Order: sequence, then structure tokens, then C-alpha cells
Amino acid sequence: MSITIAVAGKGGTGKTAISALLAALLAKESPPVLAVDGDPATNLHQALGLPLDDETNTIGGIRELMEEKITRAEFAPGTDKQAWLDARIFEGLVESVGLDFLAMGRSESQGCYCAVNHMLRYVLDKLAGNYQYVVIDNEAGMEHISRQTTRDVDVLLIISDPTARGITAAVRTRKLIDDLRTNVGQIHLVVNRLAGDISPQMGDLIAGAGLDLLVTIPEDPNMAPLETEGGPLTELPPDSPLRRVVVDIAAKTGLLAGKPRTSLF
Amino acid sequence: MSEFHVDMGPQYEGEAIRRENVQVEFGGPKIPHKFELVTLKGLDEVEHEKIEVIGPDIKDIEEGASSPLAILIDVAGEELEKDMEPVFERRIHMYSNYIEGFWHVAQRDDIWIRLDKAAFKKGLNSLREIGEILIFLFTSELDIIEKISVTFITDGEKVKELLPNALTVYEARDARARDLGDEDVDEFYGCILCQAFAPTHICFITPDRMANCGAISWFDGRAAYKLDPEGPVFAVPKGELLDAARGEYAGVNAVAQEKSLGSVEEVYLYSSFGRPHTSCGCFQSICFYIPEVDAFGIVYRDFIGESVIGLPFSKMAGETSGGRQVEGSCGMGLEYLRSPKFFQADGGLRRVVWMPKDIKERYKDAIPEDLLDKIATEEDVKNTDELTEFLERVGHPWVKGEVEIPD
Ligand SMILES: Nc1ncnc2c1ncn2[C@@H]1O[C@H](COP(=O)(O)OP(=O)(O)OP(=O)(O)O)[C@@H](O)[C@H]1O
Ligand code: SF4
Ligand SMILES: [Mg+2]
Repeated sequence: MSITIAVAGKGGTGKTAISALLAALLAKESPPVLAVDGDPATNLHQALGLPLDDETNTIGGIRELMEEKITRAEFAPGTDKQAWLDARIFEGLVESVGLDFLAMGRSESQGCYCAVNHMLRYVLDKLAGNYQYVVIDNEAGMEHISRQTTRDVDVLLIISDPTARGITAAVRTRKLIDDLRTNVGQIHLVVNRLAGDISPQMGDLIAGAGLDLLVTIPEDPNMAPLETEGGPLTELPPDSPLRRVVVDIAAKTGLLAGKPRTSLF
Repeated sequence: MSEFHVDMGPQYEGEAIRRENVQVEFGGPKIPHKFELVTLKGLDEVEHEKIEVIGPDIKDIEEGASSPLAILIDVAGEELEKDMEPVFERRIHMYSNYIEGFWHVAQRDDIWIRLDKAAFKKGLNSLREIGEILIFLFTSELDIIEKISVTFITDGEKVKELLPNALTVYEARDARARDLGDEDVDEFYGCILCQAFAPTHICFITPDRMANCGAISWFDGRAAYKLDPEGPVFAVPKGELLDAARGEYAGVNAVAQEKSLGSVEEVYLYSSFGRPHTSCGCFQSICFYIPEVDAFGIVYRDFIGESVIGLPFSKMAGETSGGRQVEGSCGMGLEYLRSPKFFQADGGLRRVVWMPKDIKERYKDAIPEDLLDKIATEEDVKNTDELTEFLERVGHPWVKGEVEIPD
């Protein structure tokens, strides 16, 4: 069984940066890793330095293609739809060293497609079982967690900026998870781009909401230049603050601590 | 099995082989020509356990490369029937995935196969051995196969040359599948996926009745049930045929009662009246009764605007859905229009008087020729008054009293 890590939080807080660095770290230490981009805008691959040849080759795109084929009755009666879908999902996978990447993309269809979603869940569950870790970069709206495309999550990281508004949003995300009763192991708060220490007021706010503050991340001076060049985050120097804290995150959540390898390979 | 270089068994089924571990890949998105085909032959035409490899073998192919592939399996046996070919063909998928370090996806001319480097290092370096394992699994699991031979073709030109023949075979099988009727099978399938939204809804999926959402045909139901017998798609033994015209089966009734916790007691598969099939919320289309003309209209999800009764699809769907049995308003998969049993108890297609132009175009080969221009669309009429007048004018068989209702 693979370990699933979901990264959530409001827009622009650093979800993609942290997901990419965590996925890269785990891929180096204990491959293979599946990195899932839950943002319809699909940008995690860039942070990971991976190519995406076909922008429509996302889960959303494949789902839509399947729905279209069903509506148009284009499946031959003698073909197995699940088998067709399996192949398309594998085609959508971007395969790299120690790490594969899958984009959720967008799905705008109006129809109700329980059957298609069920088949999709079946292949995704099976696929996920082939990895040591699955890292999911969620979009701000938490759609995949609320739609239960993501089911069991072992570690949920809620990323916040160092503002009261940010923390309030993190509390809301936490409530959403509790209400949906999605199976979540550990839930932690990460405050990103914090200058100095957590203020007493913010500390109270966090404690009052029952959130566990795992780590804080300072402003990383190496991010802006990298961003200007458009280089992947995997090029951050090893002593870069962001990178160092991600190692901390992995250590503190026990992600790297002697996890037995159950790989099938 | 000590005689083979790798292990085998169902425990390897979920195993995927990642790009960086690929020794060789057959078929898949990079290869235009690939297929697998099982052919039933006479006992004297099959040389038992013969394995042939035409073209480069695994050990001759560069590490990590992709190659064309055709897998041709010939089987013979006194009790074998032509209809078993596709069933055996799906077994290639199943048994291939039983092999440690060997991965098989999809079907027919869409196949995609990978061999793991680790399995190659263990000594699995020839398709011949894959053939031996497949023959071993086929013959040990399927007693009725008396003779079996396997040919692998990796020569791209040869695969390309043989592909059209395979496509013809697939087409012929699809044609036979389309002809399959409810009377030809012993088992239907049921689906309760939509009970999350409509707790009393069960889709009954039969050769003559596609699921409401259009996503699960009888064949898909069979495949889903085999894949996951504990899952939301299950087998429904037909039981006694209680009413041939309405399509009432004892087995269907029993399952309906059980899975709806008693709220649905009887189901007519081929009638919109009395005890019609329930509608969840996922249906592709609705067959609705139009009292003014005592006949039926069809409307579907993508239809924009108001249907002939002055309501949009969304409104009509709301009145149909929820897992209830609503007389004269049935959610259905569009492919049910092709069924010879399509609401046969109520007069079938000959009692349909209105449908969107798009649907009429798409299903024109399923509609009797003399009926085609007598069914009104949104372009012909805007409301039921115009519809009444239209039907009179074109002489629709239902209005003329030419349609017989079976009893
Ligand atoms: N610790 C940090 N130091 C400096 N810059 C950072 C830090 N964390 C994130 N950033 C920058 O902040 C911006 C937003 O980060 P990122 O894209 O990872 O956030 P996000 O939560 O994924 O955003 P979105 O909701 O738009 O997907 C990026 O330009 C990133 O380089
Ligand atoms: S509509 Fe489709 S998904 Fe829903 S119960 Fe019927 S077959 Fe299952
Ligand atoms: Mg992002």
C-alpha cells in the first residue's frame, strides 16, 4: 500500500512549491512516487521539471472523452470500457525517473456519470498501489477531496500564509475535511513565508482552532530568481530554506522513518 | 512453477511496470499496429502447444524499445463455440497479468504490453516462454480447450498486413453482440451505483436494455461483475419469464425487492406503464408520455430549450428521477432506442411521435424507414397543438390506429 500525502490551502500559499519539493525528495529517498496535480490549471509538472506533451491528456480530459464516446454510442459492444479507460489513464501518465506524474485537469461536463467515475476510481486506486508515495497538490477549492476522488489520505498538509485571514481559511479547510469524514491520518498546518516567529496572537488563533503547527517556512531568497528563469524547483540549492523545511516536514511526519518497502518491483 | 523463469498468479494482477523499468514494450501509444485475436478452429487444424515467434524476439530487441505485436491464439475442442472467442481473448489480458513482471492493458487492436527488466534478468527473454505460460494457464484453467497454439508476430509489416482481418473479425463479433437478445442469456446484471443519490434505484442491464446512463451495456455488466464480484454491479439470474410483452422476470423482481428494501416490488423492462423501470438521475434521456396525443416523446440531456410539452430537460428530469417508478416518464440509455424490445408493451418506436432532430439523425438506422419522417422534431413543431396537427397531416401510424399493442 502506498502512503498518500495531500497538500491543501488557499490560493498562492505555496502548495505547488511544497508538493514538488516533497515529491522530489521522496522520489530520491524511496521511489517510486506518483505526483498528482489536482489543480485544473496544471502547473505541478513545471515545478518538477517534467514535460507535458498533451495538455488534454488529463484525467478530466479522458473522462470527458469517455463521456462523449458514451453519448455518441461509439464504444463497440464487444469492447470492455474499463479496459479502454485503463489504457487511456496509463497514456496520460508522464513517466520519469523515480517519479510519475498525473494531471487531474478540468472536467466541465454537465451530465451525471457515476459509472465513469467508478471506473476511474478503480483504475486510479490500482495505479496508486504501485507507488511508495502519492503526493497530491490540491487546488484551492479542495474539489478532489470533497468529490472524494482522493479517498484515504495519510498526511494532510494545510498551507497558510502568515496572516490571520490565511489561518482562518486553514481552519475552514480542516472543518471541511471533518464534515466530509474523508479518512485522514495526520493533519498539520504549515505557515509559509513567515518573517521571524509566530506572533502570540497567531499562535492563539492556531491553538484555539485545534490545528497542529508542524513547521514554519521563511521567505526563500532563491525562489524569485528561479521563478524568473522558469527553472524547476528541483534546481533549488540543497541549503535553500524551502528545501530544508521540506526535509523537516518529511522527518516530522515520519514519512521517511524506516518505512518498509512493499514495492512490487 | 519451477520450469519457468518467473513466478505467476493472481497476486501479480495489479502490478504496473513503470517506464524506467521497461525491458521491452509491445504495442501501446507509440505503435500504430498491434492486436490480439483468438480463433476457434477444427481439431485437425490446430497443432497442440505449437508456439511460433515471427520477427525479433525479446532478446533481439533493444532495451527500453517499443515493438509491434500480434498475438494469435488458435483453439480447438469438441465443446467450443464461436461465441467463446472473445471470452478467451479477454483471458489473454488476465493470464498475461498473472505473469510476474509482465503487464497487459486494453484489448483488441489497442493492446499495450510491457516486460520488466527484473523479469528479463531472471531469464524471461523469449516470447516463446510467454507462450508456454499462456498455454499452461489456458489449458489448466479451461478444460474444454483440447488444443491450443500461440503465434507472436513482432514484424511490423506482417502485423500491419494482418490487422485488417482482425478488425473484420471484431466487427463481425460486434454485429453478433448487437443481435443478442434477452432470451439468449440466463443472467442479467444490476447496478446500484446511483443509490448514493436515489436509494431505491437499481438499474437492470440486459442485452435488450442498456443501463440508464448509457455507460454499462450487458457486456460491460458481465465484465464488471467478473472483475469485482463484490462491487456495485452484480449478477441477476433471470428467473421465470412472467410477462413476455412487458418484460417481467421473477429474478428481476426478487432483486428489485431485495435491493430497494421493499419499495420496488415489480419491474417491467419493456413498458412505461404499470411497473416501469426506476430512474436515478444519471439517465441519458427520458421517454415521456404526451397525453394530448396518447403517445411518447424522447428528450435527452444535451437538448437545449423546451421539449414539445413546454418543459426543458432539467425540469423533466427532476420529475422523473429519484429512484421512483413514474408511469409515463422513464429515464433510459439512448441505445435502448435500438432495442427490438424498446417499450414494446406500449407500442414501441411506432408510438414515438417527437424527438430532438439530433437524436433522430443519430438513430435513423434504428427507426423504420416509413416512420422516419413521421416523427416530429423541434424544427417541425413547437407545442402539442402543432404536434397533433403534424401527426394528422403526415399520417403517423399510431394516430391512424395501425400500431398493435401486444398483450
Ligand atoms: N517560502 C517561499 N519563499 C519565496 N517564495 C515562495 C515561497 N513559497 C512560495 N513562494 C512563491 O509563491 C508563489 C505561489 O506559490 P505556489 O505556486 O507554490 O502556490 P500555490 O498555493 O500552489 O498557488 P495556487 O493556489 O495558485 O496553485 C510562487 O511564485 C512561489 O515561487
Ligand atoms: S445509471 Fe449507470 S451508474 Fe447509475 S445505477 Fe444505472 S448503470 Fe449504474
Ligand atoms: Mg498551485
